[in-house]
Amino acid sequence: MPETQDGQPTSVNARPQGELAMSLLIEAGAVLASSLDLTTTMGQVARLTVPRHGDLCVIDLRDEDGSIKGVAVASAVEGLAQELERLRTDHPLDPQGRHPVAQVIRSGEPVLLAEMTDALLDSFAQGSRHAKFMIDHGYRSAVVAPLRARGRTLGALSVLRLGATIPFDEEDLDLMCELARRAGLAIDNARLFSEMRAVERRLEAVLVNLAEAITVVDEQGRTVFANQAAADLLQVDDPDELMRAQPGAIMSRFLVLDEQGRELDLDRMPGRRLFAGEDPGALLVRNIVRATGEERWIIVRASPIADPDSGRNTYVVNVFENITEVKRVQLAESFMAEASRVLASSMDYSETLQRVARLAVPQIADWCAVDLLSHQDEIERVAIHHPDPAMVALAERLNRDYHSEPQDSGGVPEVIRTGEARIYTDIQPDALAGYARDRQHLELLRAIGATAVVIVPMIGATGAIGAITLVSSQSSRRLTPADLALAERLGRRAGTAVENARLYTERARIAQTLQQALLPESLPQIPGAEVRARYCAAGELNEVGGDFYDVFAHGSDGWMLLIGDVCGKGPRAAGVTALARHTLRAAAMSGQSPPQMLETLHRALRLQPPGEDLCTVCLVAAQKGAGRMRLTVALAGHPPPLILQRDGTARLVGKPGTLLGVIDPVEISETVAELGPGETLLLYTDGVSEAGRADRQLGEQGLIELCRVAPGLDLDGLLDHIEHGALGLADGKLRDDIALLAFRLSPSGP
Amino acid sequence: MAVASTGEHLRIDVRSESDRIVLGLHGELDLLGAPLLQQQIDQVEQDAPAIVVLDLQDLQFVDSAGLRVILAAHERSRQQGREFALTRGTEQVQRLFTIAGVSEHLKIILSPDELLV
Repeated sequence: MPETQDGQPTSVNARPQGELAMSLLIEAGAVLASSLDLTTTMGQVARLTVPRHGDLCVIDLRDEDGSIKGVAVASAVEGLAQELERLRTDHPLDPQGRHPVAQVIRSGEPVLLAEMTDALLDSFAQGSRHAKFMIDHGYRSAVVAPLRARGRTLGALSVLRLGATIPFDEEDLDLMCELARRAGLAIDNARLFSEMRAVERRLEAVLVNLAEAITVVDEQGRTVFANQAAADLLQVDDPDELMRAQPGAIMSRFLVLDEQGRELDLDRMPGRRLFAGEDPGALLVRNIVRATGEERWIIVRASPIADPDSGRNTYVVNVFENITEVKRVQLAESFMAEASRVLASSMDYSETLQRVARLAVPQIADWCAVDLLSHQDEIERVAIHHPDPAMVALAERLNRDYHSEPQDSGGVPEVIRTGEARIYTDIQPDALAGYARDRQHLELLRAIGATAVVIVPMIGATGAIGAITLVSSQSSRRLTPADLALAERLGRRAGTAVENARLYTERARIAQTLQQALLPESLPQIPGAEVRARYCAAGELNEVGGDFYDVFAHGSDGWMLLIGDVCGKGPRAAGVTALARHTLRAAAMSGQSPPQMLETLHRALRLQPPGEDLCTVCLVAAQKGAGRMRLTVALAGHPPPLILQRDGTARLVGKPGTLLGVIDPVEISETVAELGPGETLLLYTDGVSEAGRADRQLGEQGLIELCRVAPGLDLDGLLDHIEHGALGLADGKLRDDIALLAFRLSPSGP
Repeated sequence: MAVASTGEHLRIDVRSESDRIVLGLHGELDLLGAPLLQQQIDQVEQDAPAIVVLDLQDLQFVDSAGLRVILAAHERSRQQGREFALTRGTEQVQRLFTIAGVSEHLKIILSPDELLV
């Protein structure tokens, strides 16, 4: 190879042009195919031209922002390449400047600078240091070829000859353009590849960091990709462990159930169905970790990756969404809603609590028991449930033979005493031995097989009134803090319900007692006659009604029979009722006539603030006569009584009089009638005649009809008959209380 | 202007005429309906009308609780010098007024617009 005068190598073609060109392009093809790494490839391309085609080769690329960067420099002269690289870094080429590289990148057209003068070099230098560099190194001849691909100019390939040398010609230019064209394609490929890699890396980063667990599974069931969330969900250390595992090995650690708690055939999983050619939707599964009993709710979705050529599904992407918390809240809410409904359904709390216990199993526990503190401060088991009756019997035996006393430490007594819930988790079989009182106790406890127990107080207004015990006895379930919170809510709700029921019963008992106090304890024995009364309260058990009746002796051989109705219900009506009865008794004792007695009551009522208490009364004085009774009837706003005759007919007795307590003056008259042997006097309140809806009331005529059968019935039978008749017409729902008072003269007379 | 309020079985229309306010009662005036009538009468009385008429022509039923409200209103009107009248109700309603012995005390008119002096 010839030497230049100053000993620097020069590029003199020793071989014929065509052969050299061919060898460059072949070598370029090999280099460009060898790597997709842009920097490596460009370095190799630059070196291909040196020293055979030139002394210096520079490859500049245009960045996305339009700036020009030198990416590769090759030189036969020692240190020159490094020097130029520094220069390019310190003084980047102005993309809009006159430098040939900038011009070529702008135009996309090659430039041949066969002979460059110092003046020319100076004209496109990027500052004086650049100009000095070019002049000092003897830049003489250059070709600059555009690097192009897909219609865009990516950069420029510059080859230079230094010092006294053969200038480049058109043929050289064509060759370098050809090399640049190939390099351009390679750059484009490399860039596409690196973009694809970047996209892939981003995708992978997304998948890896997704909160949702993702696995990609092939047809053989092998996991080819998994993210950390999948590893967490399937409780392995890292995704690699999933990918290394034998197909199915990981899943065998879990019990997979459907929404109803039935074990799920794994062929029903969406991924498997996709491989089977089906088009499955999302599936909700209940997943239980066999080792710990932890329960999770998971939505599984799968989508296929089809082979582009065959169209067959080669991979399936599984997405697992853990919705345990959501599901737990949802189940808890629906459980509480159902429990509240049950608790509100009846005032019979022992029945209600039994239903709540049934509701809790199996949803939140395997066992549920309810204990209440009785009035005697005893702990009473009021409900127990387990799906297996034999197990229920076991628990009942345990409760009977090893009953808890209120002062016992731990368990239900302590929860009731403190009002604070207790949770016992991971109960080990050994622990039972320490707790058991004797061998049989231990056996029973073992048979119950509790692994976790939650005891929550039932809270009433005055504190804990009982406790609900939830027991988990199967490995497939564990009681969690969420279960505890749910149970505590249930305890509060049940406590309120029980307390309400107790208060209701208590009020009902008080009302009943009060009502009894308002009515005569027993009716007097009347020689030659029979007397019977009936009282039937309408509506709520715990309201005192306003109907009253009374029978008492009046003078010698005389009796006073009365029935009345105080408007309204409740304590006020009860007070007025008591006033009415006592006033009438007192008035009778002072020898007043029936109308006078009623006027006395009227004045008494008017004296009671607010002076608007309304009361109706039917008063009958019965005086013994010869073989019959002489009746004096006075009515104050009250329906007239009936005399039921021996042939089944009846007649109304009495003239209407003003009701008492509201309007002054009252006008009350008396009517005299006779009651013959075997005849019956029937006093009633308007609850009887007004029974039934407005359009089909019993009415006085209806009552008379009902009484047609009276001659064939004893008095109790007659009152039953009337009561049933009225109730039947009212469809069992009375508008008002019913009171009946019947007085029958014996067939032989008084 | 008509204002209607309804209870379980009772509906009350309130109608304001030049010299009177007419309360039209429809349905059943019992223990459940009585508080509703009381409330309506209280409201009407606040406007201190010269005449209050209870139109009972469409009233199917009245019991002692309903009667009490009517009688108390009657009593207040008498004390406050206001005219208080009723139209005749159904047979049951008339029968109850008779039994209660209050027909004589109440001003019964044939039509809610009947002239009253």
